[in-house]
Amino acid sequence: MPTMAGRAQRADDVARPGPAGSSPASLRPQGAPADAPNSGSERLLPLLHVENVTKRYGATTVLHDVDLRVADNEFLTILGPSGSGKTTILRIIGGFESIDRGRLMFDGRDLAHVPINRRPFNTVFQDYALFHHMSVRKNVGYGLRVRGTPRQDIARRVAEVLATVGLDEFGDRYPAQLSGGQRQRVALARAIVCEPRLILLDEPLAALDVNLRAQMQRFLKDLQRRLGIAFVFITHDQEEAIVLSDRIVVVRDGRVEQDGTPHEVYHRPRTSFVANFLGENNLIDGKVSGVDGGMVRVETPLGMFAGTASGPVSVGRPVLLAVRPEHIAAAPGGANEIAGTVTDIRFLGPTATLDVSPTTAPRLTIKLRQLGGAVAMAPGERVTVSWSPADTAVIAQGPTEPGRAGSAPP
Amino acid sequence: MTGARSVLPKLAWHTANLGLPVIFVLAPILSFILISVWTLDHGHVIARFTLANYAAFLTDGGYVSVYGTTVLLSLEVTILNTALASAVALFIFRRAVRIRFLLLMIFVLPLFMSYIIKVYSIRGILGQRGLFNEGLLALGLIGQPIGALLFSRTAIFLTLAILYLPYAVLPIYLALDRIPANYPAASVDLGGRTRDELLHIVAPLAMPGIVVAAVFTFVLTFGDFVTPQMVGGTEGFTFGRIVFSQFGLALNWPLGSAFAVILLGTALMAVALAGLFLRKEHIR
Repeated sequence: MPTMAGRAQRADDVARPGPAGSSPASLRPQGAPADAPNSGSERLLPLLHVENVTKRYGATTVLHDVDLRVADNEFLTILGPSGSGKTTILRIIGGFESIDRGRLMFDGRDLAHVPINRRPFNTVFQDYALFHHMSVRKNVGYGLRVRGTPRQDIARRVAEVLATVGLDEFGDRYPAQLSGGQRQRVALARAIVCEPRLILLDEPLAALDVNLRAQMQRFLKDLQRRLGIAFVFITHDQEEAIVLSDRIVVVRDGRVEQDGTPHEVYHRPRTSFVANFLGENNLIDGKVSGVDGGMVRVETPLGMFAGTASGPVSVGRPVLLAVRPEHIAAAPGGANEIAGTVTDIRFLGPTATLDVSPTTAPRLTIKLRQLGGAVAMAPGERVTVSWSPADTAVIAQGPTEPGRAGSAPP
Repeated sequence: MTGARSVLPKLAWHTANLGLPVIFVLAPILSFILISVWTLDHGHVIARFTLANYAAFLTDGGYVSVYGTTVLLSLEVTILNTALASAVALFIFRRAVRIRFLLLMIFVLPLFMSYIIKVYSIRGILGQRGLFNEGLLALGLIGQPIGALLFSRTAIFLTLAILYLPYAVLPIYLALDRIPANYPAASVDLGGRTRDELLHIVAPLAMPGIVVAAVFTFVLTFGDFVTPQMVGGTEGFTFGRIVFSQFGLALNWPLGSAFAVILLGTALMAVALAGLFLRKEHIR
């Protein structure tokens, strides 16, 4: 479900024909303009660099040349369906899995021979892995205790961290006496107590119910800002990824499909998979018939449409047009228009969706999403729908895989 | 009114649940507790109340000292076996998941064999011309066979330890097996070394299994009378043998029953101690 209503913000995206694609590593400091100079020498060193990592289990390759960088203080989400290899990436960073090819660089240092317990990261496990035989205080203090921190320092630091996660009163409880959300906070407290440079979070919100999850998302985001620690967060939930992240790395079948800000991956998908996986999209096959700067003209069975390229395209190249349902108006007027018949209207509360079948291709369906939920139309009515070229992502198809090009190091 | 109709099946169910243990466990125990306060008169058991049987335990022919040495022997076996079994269980636990079950089966395989056969095998190994002595002789490590290996307290100690080891391995391994796989991962992730994991995670979580193993070993070895008889010779006079001899040889059922009650009391004390110890453990 698309949840972003970012029409106003998109204005600056439109002017640039896919800067996200050309600078996938996105190492600029937060808030800096996206098209800041990004030449090799001026580039900031990433905190963590997963460098062209390949991982095999026997004959199966689960990660193909995965390359991703985590900047200091960054909230990075690795997003992908189950079996995409996202957990394997996390386990490799944590040190729980070996690498068949590639490197893992941290602060310019190769981590190949750094054992798990010496890595300056901590993990929040999917089911928290809280030690059930230890009190909350003991759990949180564990990392300090095994480092030989003096007792009174442990007590002070644990109290601080428990206050940070809002569990000051719960130090003497046992994990079994806590709710799901509280356990989650204990797991976070335990991970941050040793002041790691990076925290790895393996789908930590998956076990929580919907309301609690929204609450924990806000908490996580807020905590990450306050601490200034880089978070590498794993999820299969695209909404969660969009809400939380500074940057999203979309993975599928052990490959990076796209790497960019939530805006970039949502509005400028570089592959059909990304276009489908994050929210809803209307996808139309076509062929490039003209390129004019960032503007691309595409010939499709439904007519000629204009769109904005997410990556390099040339005339004659097969492409996919992606248009969000919320960007299509049920009225003529945009540069891209289709005439058709309303086949279905669904009221969803704050919004309503319309299905329109084009007159020239009645078996296709164009989905529209209207704000306000009231639609002054009925099924069977004839309608002309329209949308702007700026809202049309042109995704290159065919021989080269655009997703991989986007993740290659410079 | 849910009525009598639903009461009847319930009653039958409770009778089956409680009745069978009452008939087969509680009744025999109660009967020998009862006989232990009866009198033996010219070879006949008479239902006349007396505490003479218990008094005999305290005053007559060194029963107390046999009791004492048996407790000591059982404690020694318990300590040795709990330590050995902990090591074995930990060894199995540290192997790859798919071979763990196989290894466990190998270690508990002796449980499936006849007790008597095992004791005879051990006799064959420990005897004057047994495997052990012959081996040492052949290697030239000793000049003549070590006689003390069999028909001695050492022989009982060794045999009991060998026989009852699987009973200690099993509960400890099961406790280890219940440790969630991500606890060790979390420990090392937080900077813990193998030592920290053993000390703070594995040991506390294995403790219930270790305590059960200790109780099993103590109770089983304390009551055993076959091993002491078969490998103990004249030196191996344990409390279990005394109980057996009162029933089987002296036909003094009241005295035997009194000793059996003392044996039961000792076992219950071991269980109670274990219970006290485990009460501190947190139940999930």
